[in-house]
Amino acid sequence: MSQSTQPAQSPQSGSAQPQRHENDIAIVGFAQTDAHVRYDGPEVVLIMECVNALLAGAGIERHDIDFTIAGSCDYLSGMPFAFVSNVDGMGAWPPVYESHVEMDGAWALFEAWLRLQMGDIDVAMVVGSGKSSPCNAREVFHLQADPYAVAPLGLDPDAMAGIAARSLIESRKATETEIAEVVARSYQAAASNPHAQIRSTASVEELLAAPYDMAPLRAHDVSPKADGAAALLIARRDRARELTDSPVWITGLDHRIESHHAGLRDLTDSQSTRTAAAGSGVADGAVDVAELHVTHAHEEIILRNALNLNPSTAVNPSGGPLAGDPVMATGLVRVVEVARRIAAGEAGRGVAHASSGAALQQNLLCVLQGGA
Amino acid sequence: MARPCAVVGIGQTKYKRRRDDLSLDGLVREAALRALEDAEVSFADIDAVVLGKAPDALEGVIMPELSLADALGAVGKPIHRVHTAGSVGASTAISAAVLVESGRYDTVLTVTYEKQSEGNATWALSGGKSGGQGAGGTFAPWIREYIRRSGAPEHIGWQVAVKDRLNALKNEYAHLHLDDISIEAVKQSPMLWDPLHFLESCPSSDGAAAMVLSCEDFASRSPNPPAWILGHAKRTEFSSFPGRDTVKPQAGVDCSAALYKEVGITDPRRQIDTAELYVPFSWYEPMWLEGHLIAPEGEGWKMTDEGATALDGDFPVNCSGGVLSSNPIGASGMIRCLEAANQVRGTAGEYQVDGARVALGHAYGGAAQYFAMWIVSSELDPVFS
Amino acid sequence: MAELQDIDFTLEYPYTRTTGPIIGPFLTGLRDGRILATKVGDRVICPPLEYDPDTGATVGPENLVEVGPAGEVTGWTWVTRPTSKHPFEHPFAFAQIKLDGADTTMLHVVDAGSEDAMSTGMRVVVRFRSERLGTINDVYFVPGDEPPEAPEVDDDAEPVTITEHLIGVRIREPLQPHRRRFAEGLLAGKIIGQRSPADGKVHVPSRGYDATNRVPMTSEHDVEVADVGTVTSFTEIVPVQYHGQTETEPYIRCSVLLDGADTTVGGIDIRDISVEDFRVGMRLQMVWRDSGDRMGDLDNRGYGLNEEVYERWEPTGEPDVDPESLKEHNF
Repeated sequence: MSQSTQPAQSPQSGSAQPQRHENDIAIVGFAQTDAHVRYDGPEVVLIMECVNALLAGAGIERHDIDFTIAGSCDYLSGMPFAFVSNVDGMGAWPPVYESHVEMDGAWALFEAWLRLQMGDIDVAMVVGSGKSSPCNAREVFHLQADPYAVAPLGLDPDAMAGIAARSLIESRKATETEIAEVVARSYQAAASNPHAQIRSTASVEELLAAPYDMAPLRAHDVSPKADGAAALLIARRDRARELTDSPVWITGLDHRIESHHAGLRDLTDSQSTRTAAAGSGVADGAVDVAELHVTHAHEEIILRNALNLNPSTAVNPSGGPLAGDPVMATGLVRVVEVARRIAAGEAGRGVAHASSGAALQQNLLCVLQGGA
Repeated sequence: MARPCAVVGIGQTKYKRRRDDLSLDGLVREAALRALEDAEVSFADIDAVVLGKAPDALEGVIMPELSLADALGAVGKPIHRVHTAGSVGASTAISAAVLVESGRYDTVLTVTYEKQSEGNATWALSGGKSGGQGAGGTFAPWIREYIRRSGAPEHIGWQVAVKDRLNALKNEYAHLHLDDISIEAVKQSPMLWDPLHFLESCPSSDGAAAMVLSCEDFASRSPNPPAWILGHAKRTEFSSFPGRDTVKPQAGVDCSAALYKEVGITDPRRQIDTAELYVPFSWYEPMWLEGHLIAPEGEGWKMTDEGATALDGDFPVNCSGGVLSSNPIGASGMIRCLEAANQVRGTAGEYQVDGARVALGHAYGGAAQYFAMWIVSSELDPVFS
Repeated sequence: MAELQDIDFTLEYPYTRTTGPIIGPFLTGLRDGRILATKVGDRVICPPLEYDPDTGATVGPENLVEVGPAGEVTGWTWVTRPTSKHPFEHPFAFAQIKLDGADTTMLHVVDAGSEDAMSTGMRVVVRFRSERLGTINDVYFVPGDEPPEAPEVDDDAEPVTITEHLIGVRIREPLQPHRRRFAEGLLAGKIIGQRSPADGKVHVPSRGYDATNRVPMTSEHDVEVADVGTVTSFTEIVPVQYHGQTETEPYIRCSVLLDGADTTVGGIDIRDISVEDFRVGMRLQMVWRDSGDRMGDLDNRGYGLNEEVYERWEPTGEPDVDPESLKEHNF
């Protein structure tokens, strides 16, 4: 691991373990596939291998799971109702209690987390998956934009990011060098992540020497799209303690959206991240680790500011999406990465972030903490 | 342990082949604003928004919660988007209820829609290729198998087609208002997917449906009667595998059994006053009466035949006209849920079932493999005897 | 023998968008040479919205006002390599433009020639394309302040209420390994399935896994099955017309349980047996095309055979199988 490791109960995280309520929900298992440049087989098998690894790791059977929910995007595979086949990878015989969001898997976690708080069921599985290699993601995701005034221009998320990055630089909130530093640091961190897609030792100078693509962004400032899946198991307090000695508690989870219309937003800040941070209690303790859904390098700078992270926080120790972006699983992978470090005792408390839409329009924060 | 949740506001658009007077923003707002008005709240009172619709390819807009967030007053709030094929409207209603029942959100706006006229559902179902069989082509063989197993006479399908269209004449929002509908007209209409005639199939509609859901504290102070959500259930199974029963899918059986158990229903036919079942093709009325344990196996068609499912029958089904009369796909399941709520709130107008106290809303999707159902009541804690 | 090709397919549809009471006049304005905004309180919003973005209150067409034609660039990016979805094939800028008279910025394109010609704070002005259809692409912007020439306007043209957008997503991928082996088998006159190592059931065509037991399958699980089987379900389809549909006449579509298989082959077209003579339980034999006439046109999705490998399916003349015994294969 490239980040400095913290003991499970680091002084930063506060030594007193809070009393857990029966409605508290913990992550009790996690799995992810590699971020494949191109996975040869069906998306279903990516999911199936991920789910099988999850169940084996947690030592439970499929029928022990009370609720399953997944996130994916039909358009990536060019097939309406593609998500229906994905159920094949998750298991649905005998029939299962199941749902689906057409969003990153992190939003599936949001619904699963709420569902368990109803109290009648104990264990949920959350899956995020995507196979983006068959398409050009830019040509797909421009269809997220306002269908009348923007999408017909072909204005895709990378172009929006280019506009936002320039505004950030011109408002003196970042420099091109700082943006390149985000990339270089991500690549360094990814060297120890077996799932990462990019293997590079590029220096800041080498990165700055590359030509512009969406000026002031360069090709390496944009996350490399990948095929992949991630999965989590979450459980209510008592069941969580039965299932693992190292539960990772979800102490807060909130997501917010801001205006779709760029003209009504400040692209150099992330107001929705600030609101979600307040809602999820990011500032209630030290943040040892933060995994941020950075699909364009300058967004890390915007998010660090919005989250008010201090220099001691390890940001994207996995290398983050800039080293491998399995679209639709990427946000959920952030949760997996933070949970793994906490479960392993490398960090005491952390924040996972997921984002949707162009220029960070929608942001989700999940605050995680270790301790029995 | 979950806290109670109720429907306190309902909004629907007029359903139509093409709502040529509205943008996508305008379509969802027409339903959302009516739901807010019914609940006598404003966007400012809403804590979170849950959006649902069928595939993005139906309109060619990806993740529409992003471009509709402003129009739905969601800026600064949580909004998320559900997609579970044809069952999505009911799934979305259930997801919205979960937000309230979890204790985390007090008042939630949920909106579903489809603007089918922007694209083409049969094209989308075919994956954009020639030779698509459409939904009817998928379900027709299973309907044929139901007929073989149950020995139901062929007029059952025609009868459902007529009954639901006559009910639709009482519903101002319904897409189809077929004044001259008759058994003869159904029978004479073109055979589309043998044994299904044109008039035994749902239309293609534009439309949106919305609800405001609230926690007990707010709902009990709501200006209009609340419809208490007594329970909800969802089940999914694979689309195809050796051993699958496509006529009476196990997921549908399990879904209803779980729901009845949760609510305390032991005799659904007697204890439920009316149902809005997802019937896009006429024969699915008897098939779901059996598939959801309301009628014994092989006898669902007899309920239809005897008029039990008519507006004045002992188990009225689809008093609003059902999917056979309006089908904005992504909203169709939510319409079933909100029409069930209309019945127990006493706000169903001309198609009101007298004294309805307990009602079932239901949707299914995919290859009859996704099920989502809820039961609502005028009472928070009704006693079933 | 035919070569197997990588998949190259465009999911494409000519969508029609109805524009409503605010977007319609806005697009009509672009077609007719002016840019409209909505005045909401003391704020002028362009492009216009149907609602007040602060409160959600409805904003009607009586609030439309004209802005522009020039304005200031407040943010931009330079597109070095345009995609197929962009309005120019040469490099250009996407920009946020605050039009004169507006309080918010609009996203649009600036045809500036070179990146050096772009800067934040620069003035840009609208240009109307000669062919205008009532879409956002009827206009673009250029550096400077020089007003556009008044475009030629058809005074009799109806207001824009509906627009058409051909939206396509191109999908390119190789055949997945199990599909490739299945396709190669068909070209060689063999039907290849996979036997699940978990329960021994034979899947044809296989999807590369056994979902029921959550087991991926590989080439070691491949088995050959017969080209003869039993009809488990069918319908006669009267083709609905849609973009890309080439079928015009009714045809039967059925599923067949091949001998030696546990899953059915779906979507088999029957063109030469009448629906009156067609039955569940009927035994059918596939009649192959000559090997030289078989096509390798298969994708990664289908649960059927490739219809380009057979001439037809014909009744074997054997007695029907009892439909009751096919209940578990009715899909």
